[in-house]
Amino acid sequence: MRTAKPPSPPSERRRVRTRRLTVPGDTTSLAGVCAFVEAAADAGGFDERTSHACQLAVCEAVENVIQHGYRGERGTILLRARSGSGSLTVEIVDDAPAFDPTRYPVDPRASLRDARVGGRGLLMIRRVMDDISYERRGRQNILRLTKNRVFTGV
Amino acid sequence: METQTQVYQRVTVMTVTGRVDSTSAGDLETALKKLVEEGKSHLVLDLSGVEFLSSSGLRVLVTTLKAVRKSGGDLRLAALSQRASDAIDLAGLDVLFKTYEDREAAVASF
Repeated sequence: MRTAKPPSPPSERRRVRTRRLTVPGDTTSLAGVCAFVEAAADAGGFDERTSHACQLAVCEAVENVIQHGYRGERGTILLRARSGSGSLTVEIVDDAPAFDPTRYPVDPRASLRDARVGGRGLLMIRRVMDDISYERRGRQNILRLTKNRVFTGV
Repeated sequence: METQTQVYQRVTVMTVTGRVDSTSAGDLETALKKLVEEGKSHLVLDLSGVEFLSSSGLRVLVTTLKAVRKSGGDLRLAALSQRASDAIDLAGLDVLFKTYEDREAAVASF
């Protein structure tokens, strides 16, 4: 007699939640991106400060795609979020030319003489997120940002 | 984003509220540039009402800081919201700015 696989317990089913959002690749999308990340961070049980830090990191990554990837060309950006208990992963998918932000050198020190303010966004992403990975799949950039610890400051 | 400016005898205070990202950073830059061009080089930014401050907004703060320092002035930050403070720290720019608990202290520092 065949036995059906028992359903996973409700707590297990609730544990992971996914959501997605597609936005045009221009700066008017940023407030919507923040709201999307806020909802996903809430679902992961993160506090307000950690949620804000994640919003900053994801928005910096999206701004990079808009400004340096699409450079005024039309394009879209897909966001996929996966929220578990105490964890959040956001994938940012775009069709811009290949760019691996994990390999871009960033100097954490800032001085007025040579403040390379342009690299600040990448520094913010690296300081907020606990894991960052990049993949070029076909003609798409996929940047995966993961947060699994509470943010308590730099 | 909204800005409100109060001009005192020696110091000018600009209060910034709302989101400062790449959609609004240009407006902030224009407002600050105007003050610098008017010769106002002792500036205080009240950031108590800032809800979001991205690297685009921070870039404006740094370029303004450079401009006023050139003319012997300074840009000082007051009453930072937790969000503004976190953004500045995360970008590693906390070392560049003098920050004060409240705007009165920042004004008095000049």
